[in-house]
Amino acid sequence: MFTSGNVTARVFERQIRTPPPGASVNRARHFYENLVPSYTLYDVESPDHCFRKFTEDGLFLISFSRNHQELIVYRPSWLTYSTTDDSTTTLPPLPRRASKFDSFFTQLYSVNLASSNELICKDFFLYHQTRRFGLFATSTAQIHDSSSPSNDAVPGVPSIDKITFVLLRLDDGVVLDERVFLHDFVNLAHNMGVFLYDDLLAILSLRYQRIHLLQIRDSGHLVDARAIGYFCREDDELFLNSSSQAMMSQDKSKQQSLSGSKEDDTGENGLRHSLSQPSGSNSFLSGVKQRLLSFIFREIWNEESDNVMRVQSLKKKFYFHFQDYVDLIIWKVQFLDRQHLLIKFGSVDGGVTRSADHHPAFFAVYNMETTDIVAFYQNSAEDLYQLFEQFSDHFTVSSSTPFMNFVTSHSNNVYALEQLKYTKNKSNSFSQFVKKMLLSLPFSCQSQSPSPYFDQSLFRFDEKLISAADRHRQSSDNPIKFISRRQPQTLKFKIKPGPECGTADGRSKKICSFLFHPHLPLAISIQQTLFMPPSVVNIHFRR
Amino acid sequence: MASILGDLPSFDPHNFSQHRPSDPSNPSKMVPTTYRPTHNRTLPPPDQVITTEVKNILIRSFYQRAEEKLRPKRPATDHLAAEHVNKHFRAASSSSSTQGL
Repeated sequence: MFTSGNVTARVFERQIRTPPPGASVNRARHFYENLVPSYTLYDVESPDHCFRKFTEDGLFLISFSRNHQELIVYRPSWLTYSTTDDSTTTLPPLPRRASKFDSFFTQLYSVNLASSNELICKDFFLYHQTRRFGLFATSTAQIHDSSSPSNDAVPGVPSIDKITFVLLRLDDGVVLDERVFLHDFVNLAHNMGVFLYDDLLAILSLRYQRIHLLQIRDSGHLVDARAIGYFCREDDELFLNSSSQAMMSQDKSKQQSLSGSKEDDTGENGLRHSLSQPSGSNSFLSGVKQRLLSFIFREIWNEESDNVMRVQSLKKKFYFHFQDYVDLIIWKVQFLDRQHLLIKFGSVDGGVTRSADHHPAFFAVYNMETTDIVAFYQNSAEDLYQLFEQFSDHFTVSSSTPFMNFVTSHSNNVYALEQLKYTKNKSNSFSQFVKKMLLSLPFSCQSQSPSPYFDQSLFRFDEKLISAADRHRQSSDNPIKFISRRQPQTLKFKIKPGPECGTADGRSKKICSFLFHPHLPLAISIQQTLFMPPSVVNIHFRR
Repeated sequence: MASILGDLPSFDPHNFSQHRPSDPSNPSKMVPTTYRPTHNRTLPPPDQVITTEVKNILIRSFYQRAEEKLRPKRPATDHLAAEHVNKHFRAASSSSSTQGL
């Protein structure tokens, strides 16, 4: 009755009607149907930087210099200009001085983060919103054949000489703290190997199979909280070392007492020595692996009540696959809450290469406090898919940012759910579909844009061309249409990533990325051809 | 007014005692009946504390499923967690395999 799309009507309606409880933000977001970034400035004169993203609160635009050494931070602002043109019927073109990059963004500072042989990883950036800290990473070149002397590294995982994580206060660009990983491998692309939850940071070292948990203090220090991998608790190492020392001294006393009959004893002693070095040799399984194996064992044990059947199924499901389970490595990690991690396990081959589709993979929920595995699923597990379908928002939880709570998912949006059900019914095999859906787990941290224009209860758009996910896409020649949800025939606005396309070099594939401001009707689209650095920057905004 | 609210029980006898009718020329003679419980069955138990769940619904369902799965189907497996499980299990397996043979 009152759902007029007219902006004036909406303002009046806002005066006389209170929204239903808990729906005030959703109601306020309806205004975005009226305020759309429909005007485009094509090929804006802009500094030649890699524009990374807007921070979740919209205060900063992060960009890196072309040589990947410097960080340049901009403050988004709204353009102001005056014009003498008083024609009221048609909008006058923007004055030339107004239609520049500088009139939308003010440069705050530029900081050199990387030294000569290091590069800023341009796919990596995490934002700690409450303190306005930014986390960046620099790294040296990747070495593929890692023939390093360290023997507790996983063979087959590449090695990077030096990875540095830099914590920076974004207000003034002061570097607060650094954390260096030497001869290690952290998957930095799209924040894959690092997850930020409130002030807790999980960094997954693929090469040493260790999850480093750090805490970002208010003072801006990165403090080691714990490392999960070979050891599960903080004092495990101490305990193992002390007991191995005790064993060593036992051995020694034994040697002394039995020095007479030395020939018989050497074999036994040698064996003891090799066992008593916890980190040097791989005689022990790592702590997490141990927990995992015992969980799998207990699960299979409890499936059958009859002893004969139990042994049969243990043989079939556990002992037969024992080596496969032992060989699993941690691929990816995310927080579920402050105590629980969702860990994806897989084979070594799948951890490094991108196309990990055909590799077997497993998910485990790990409680850091009790050091227990709580749940274990294969990547085709229907159980896990059901949880994913119902509670997908609880997988994506990352921080307390208000805008992030409204990112569309199939568990908070009926249209997205419909779409999911449609693809589910359309798919030929359910298990394939489950595998495909669970590929997105564990979620990459801060990989979605909170912009209201990606809210599927407001707009409908082709998700192949554009979506909230932070990805480069192949540029299409046709403009991307955003269609109103309430009036399904009404085109609200179009975004065209390039000036009148179909130019001379139609053969070269163009890559396009979109950066949407979290709450302003402002977006940047960057179009690049693969081997031509000067990119085309377009600014989309509301006039 | 009296007919609507008059029969409703009230926990506190002082409720409605300050009640002034809106029309002073026609004072109502309403005396609200007061509900005085003669038993304390409606009182909450003394140790009851109502809080919000610490774990979110996703983690809770992980735990629920784990409990269902790890719940032993036979009381005999209860001492699985005990220290000499290994021995028990080996004994069981060897005996069962000999039975099988």
